[in-house]
Amino acid sequence: MADLSFTEEELEEIERLKDKFPTAKAATLRVLWLAQNKYGHVKDEVQRLVAETLDLPKAHVHGVARFYTQYYKEEKGKFVLDVCTCLSCQLCGGYDILHHLEDELDIEAGETTDDGMFTINEVECLGACGYAPMLQVTNGVYVNNLTKEKVDKLIKNLRNGNMPEFESMAMPELEKRNQAASE
Amino acid sequence: MPEVFIDGKRYEYDEEKDEMLLQFIMDQGLEVPFFCYHPSMSIPANCRQCMVKVGTPVKDRETGEFELDEDGERKIRWFPKFQTSCSTRLQDGMVVLTQESSEEVARAQKDNLEFILINHPLDCPICDQAGECPLQIQTYKYGPEGSRFEVKKVHKPKHVDLGPRVTLDAERCINCTRCVRFTEEISETHQLTIVDRGDSNYPTTGPGETFDDPYSLNTVDICPVGALTSTDFRFKARVWEMNQTPSIDITNGKGCNVDLWTRDNEVLRITPRQNEEVNDYWMPDVGRTAYERFNENRVDRPSIKLDGDNQSNTSWNNAIETFAEILEAHDSSDITIIGSPHASVEENYVFNKFFNLLGTSNAKFTPHIIPGSGDGFLITDDQAPNTNGCRVINLDETDNDTIKATVSGAKVVIILSDDLIGREVLSSSDLNDSYTISFATNNTDTTKASDLVIPITCVAEHTASYVNVDGRIQRSYPAKETKYTNRRLNLEMSEGRLDRFGTNFDNWVSEENKVDCLPVWDFLNKLGDRLGLDFEYNHSREIFSELSDSLDILNDVSYERMDNEKGVQLPIKQEEVKA
Amino acid sequence: MAQDWKSFEPLLIPDIPNLEKIDVYEENGGYDALKEILNDQETWSRKSVVEEVKQANIRGRGGAGFNAGLKWSFMPDPDGGPRYLACNGDESEPGTFKDRKIFEYNPHLFIEGALIASYAMTVDTIYVYIRGEYLSWVEMLQDAVDDAYEKGYLGDDILGTDVSIDMELTYGAGAYICGEETAMLESLEGKRGYPRTKPPFPAQNGLWGRPTTINNIETLANVPLVINNGADWYGDIGAEEHPGPVLYGISGHVNRPGVYEYPTGVPVMDLINDVAGGIRGGKDLKAIIPGGSSTPPLRADQLDGVTMNSDSLKDVGSMMGTAGMVVMDEDTDMVEVLWRIAHFYSHESCGQCTPCRDGTGWLEKVLKKIKDGEGEMKDLDLLLDIGNQMEGRTICALADAAVWPVRHTINRFRDEFEERCKKSVHAVA
Repeated sequence: MADLSFTEEELEEIERLKDKFPTAKAATLRVLWLAQNKYGHVKDEVQRLVAETLDLPKAHVHGVARFYTQYYKEEKGKFVLDVCTCLSCQLCGGYDILHHLEDELDIEAGETTDDGMFTINEVECLGACGYAPMLQVTNGVYVNNLTKEKVDKLIKNLRNGNMPEFESMAMPELEKRNQAASE
Repeated sequence: MPEVFIDGKRYEYDEEKDEMLLQFIMDQGLEVPFFCYHPSMSIPANCRQCMVKVGTPVKDRETGEFELDEDGERKIRWFPKFQTSCSTRLQDGMVVLTQESSEEVARAQKDNLEFILINHPLDCPICDQAGECPLQIQTYKYGPEGSRFEVKKVHKPKHVDLGPRVTLDAERCINCTRCVRFTEEISETHQLTIVDRGDSNYPTTGPGETFDDPYSLNTVDICPVGALTSTDFRFKARVWEMNQTPSIDITNGKGCNVDLWTRDNEVLRITPRQNEEVNDYWMPDVGRTAYERFNENRVDRPSIKLDGDNQSNTSWNNAIETFAEILEAHDSSDITIIGSPHASVEENYVFNKFFNLLGTSNAKFTPHIIPGSGDGFLITDDQAPNTNGCRVINLDETDNDTIKATVSGAKVVIILSDDLIGREVLSSSDLNDSYTISFATNNTDTTKASDLVIPITCVAEHTASYVNVDGRIQRSYPAKETKYTNRRLNLEMSEGRLDRFGTNFDNWVSEENKVDCLPVWDFLNKLGDRLGLDFEYNHSREIFSELSDSLDILNDVSYERMDNEKGVQLPIKQEEVKA
Repeated sequence: MAQDWKSFEPLLIPDIPNLEKIDVYEENGGYDALKEILNDQETWSRKSVVEEVKQANIRGRGGAGFNAGLKWSFMPDPDGGPRYLACNGDESEPGTFKDRKIFEYNPHLFIEGALIASYAMTVDTIYVYIRGEYLSWVEMLQDAVDDAYEKGYLGDDILGTDVSIDMELTYGAGAYICGEETAMLESLEGKRGYPRTKPPFPAQNGLWGRPTTINNIETLANVPLVINNGADWYGDIGAEEHPGPVLYGISGHVNRPGVYEYPTGVPVMDLINDVAGGIRGGKDLKAIIPGGSSTPPLRADQLDGVTMNSDSLKDVGSMMGTAGMVVMDEDTDMVEVLWRIAHFYSHESCGQCTPCRDGTGWLEKVLKKIKDGEGEMKDLDLLLDIGNQMEGRTICALADAAVWPVRHTINRFRDEFEERCKKSVHAVA
């Protein structure tokens, strides 16, 4: 991975991101995201590319990449399963879900399966406390109200390349009223 | 004048200065412990050690008068939380309680030290910082008596080569961010950052980068713990074994104020000495390596070329005799003398004066400039510490070609402390046809090509002054004994703990590190004796006061003034530097 | 407090399908408040908008509960340079999941509120900072922002007036601390989320050194309500000292967890039983955490007559916080819960200030020791001591937030902690 580079389109997107702010430095987080979406991680060489592209000190980009937990500083599995175990998820069986996943995939939290398909992480509160336990797939879609069965199905679907759909977790009362309205 | 009350005592302050409380406290000679604050950098207030209790007097809204309590004292509204004094701006009437007068404050500072110490390895016995460690000192003064921390400490990277000159022990780090701020605000290389969060964080470089900042070792100086240590100095000496002598950096024209740290007459390290007019708290890494030339590769005893190119050591008497015979055998017009921007004002002056007495023409010198090598900060294009000093005493400033031409016509060439061959002003063949005498501190290409070499003292061994690129005259002190000086008899020399209490039976005292050399004036005294000249200087102080009497520009200048004012600015116009 | 909370019609997220669509929002009176202000700037001077909002006493919904209008009034007079409104959508406090509902169901109410705030404070650029995990919701809000630009509510010369305001969305990358307002500013500037020392306050020296006000998303969503209906009307909703509608997030051991909109001041037990359908499995209630993990927990026996507003919760030794209530049933292991909270704060401490950096880690380790059955009685007092040494001694409030649950959980469930220590490996038989 000696000669990483951004494409013309990506560089245009980076210019657009820079234009959001008065300084190029402010675009650091967004360009790291862009790079992670491209390469699947922001390992050292990717951080260097980001720093060079934005003409910022490499130490700055490194400090930012290491501060924020959603940036992958190492290669991860194709699907990263971020299982929340914090407070509400803990109360509602988040650890059972985590341990079930660990058993099913035969790895521990923080590890990646040998086939490179899955990484499991134990993470802090993802802001879905009412839909606990839950997990997030690779910084993207939330999978809510998990049961062991739902987790098994998720794994199976992911193996077949089917990403879960975004679940709109309606406000219970809104849901109730909307149902009444449609009937 | 606005006023503040610190521990019950009234102080006036200057509003114009817009000072912070901690700095003001220190300026009064008082103390509050701190780690992250540094007077020349931004204030992050992150170590939280300098907490004090602060209150402001209550004013009647309508009258603007201070409200008084039953006892007629001003009513004070105390801040609900302790304030970090580093980031608290002085305010008229402010009341401050430090650890000296408030149990609560003392307790809060102790609490904070307990936190700092829980993940610190407490490896003072093997830590280079021991003895000059703010954490060690503040803990000794203000810290908890024991530890209640019975769980596992956090582990972090140790003995990491951050760069060629700095070693990191992240476990010792207390995350004050001084080093990071230094690279951002002072050296502006932005080479360091803090990585990770919470108690796992530590400073490091960018990916694949090495901390090769030309000022990297300043981070070692300002690190308040032993997290950053000098790779070169690591494990060489305990601080309390060394003595510390003020001096001047002679590796370039800036004249950074430095301290020379010696043990058993070896200079072991060089650190910057604060002088806001010159270098503030900083110096370039290059200047720190100069200690090697003070210890090693010295010209030790005079040497003389007898047959062919072979030099051999000879006695001082023989050197003087040979020197005198050469001078006597030649007409003064056949003798060329070359002064040096690398030598001090006093050396150049006596050198020139001595040979002028014999009828030679004025000494020439050529500046040692490498255009583009300076950085506009503390590294200058000028490679020599005293170019302006040569100008002040009116030596003939010429260029390299003129030097070369002059030498080629001379029968005797006498060079003061300048490696003219090494810096490619001359080639060794230029000296083939003349008898060459070098006064030198170190063995160089020029001494190798010389017929007679007179060993002289270096900046670490004598008192002498140097005029920097900005026209500031500053002086050195002897830090290192020669064969002919004695620390205990020479009241100018500092004595370290070992010097004072060590005996000849202690194994750290040896004669080996004393160089057999003389100050230029001392040698010239002896040579003058032999030649029957009226020439006698017992101390460089005499030379300087003669200069001061004879040169308008140095009229009011004395060693005392240089000492009291950290150097004296001379009215020198900045000349275009000649390449 | 009004006892008629049950008949309350939602205001922040009213019962209107497809309200996230700008046409639907407009049809239902959306952007009317903004229009009224911009079209009648004589009546609605910038100052009078600030006054109206200040009088309405919208208390910040991000946790601190500070009067939003009062905060706006701290902005210095314009000097011609840039001025910013930074909208805090970084909700990350465990138990809190409400702002995402606004992005999903009524984004324009927030946008309108932010625009009114910007007009009032002469702000030219609004930054919305959303937590990086909420990418799905960032996209939803972005759609709404795009529509608002298209319709001329955002951008240059809004609604034909000389008022020009831009809104930029951006997001973080996983750091709870970026919900702290000055850490959020640092993150917006592209740096590590290190909270700033105050003073200077953001109103003087905020984003890129310029005057900046930071408001929570839900707080701003309340603003159009105040302009449309007046401060007096707003003040009559819910609890007197803490008025207005609130998005209650209810999670934990209840039958119907989720986000509910009611006025402030709903009785806690009503929220649990009537709104959230009672405790799961017919079990008894043991405790609640009323407004996010940093707010002190309350035992079931402390909840008699307690309502969800700052005065009532303060009386029983807790806080309103973000109104994200976590409900715990009788089988809950408080030692485990407290350890997990401590673990969260230790993981999220930015590492800048000594007491927080080392204190949160120490709390977590001692609690783990107790949880793992290796605790000693003296550890309980040590935990309280560590807390006392941390509180009020750091740049931001994260250390305080870490300390409060430790102090109050141990004090309010001391038996449970002592029991665990007595049974530990260190216990003398």
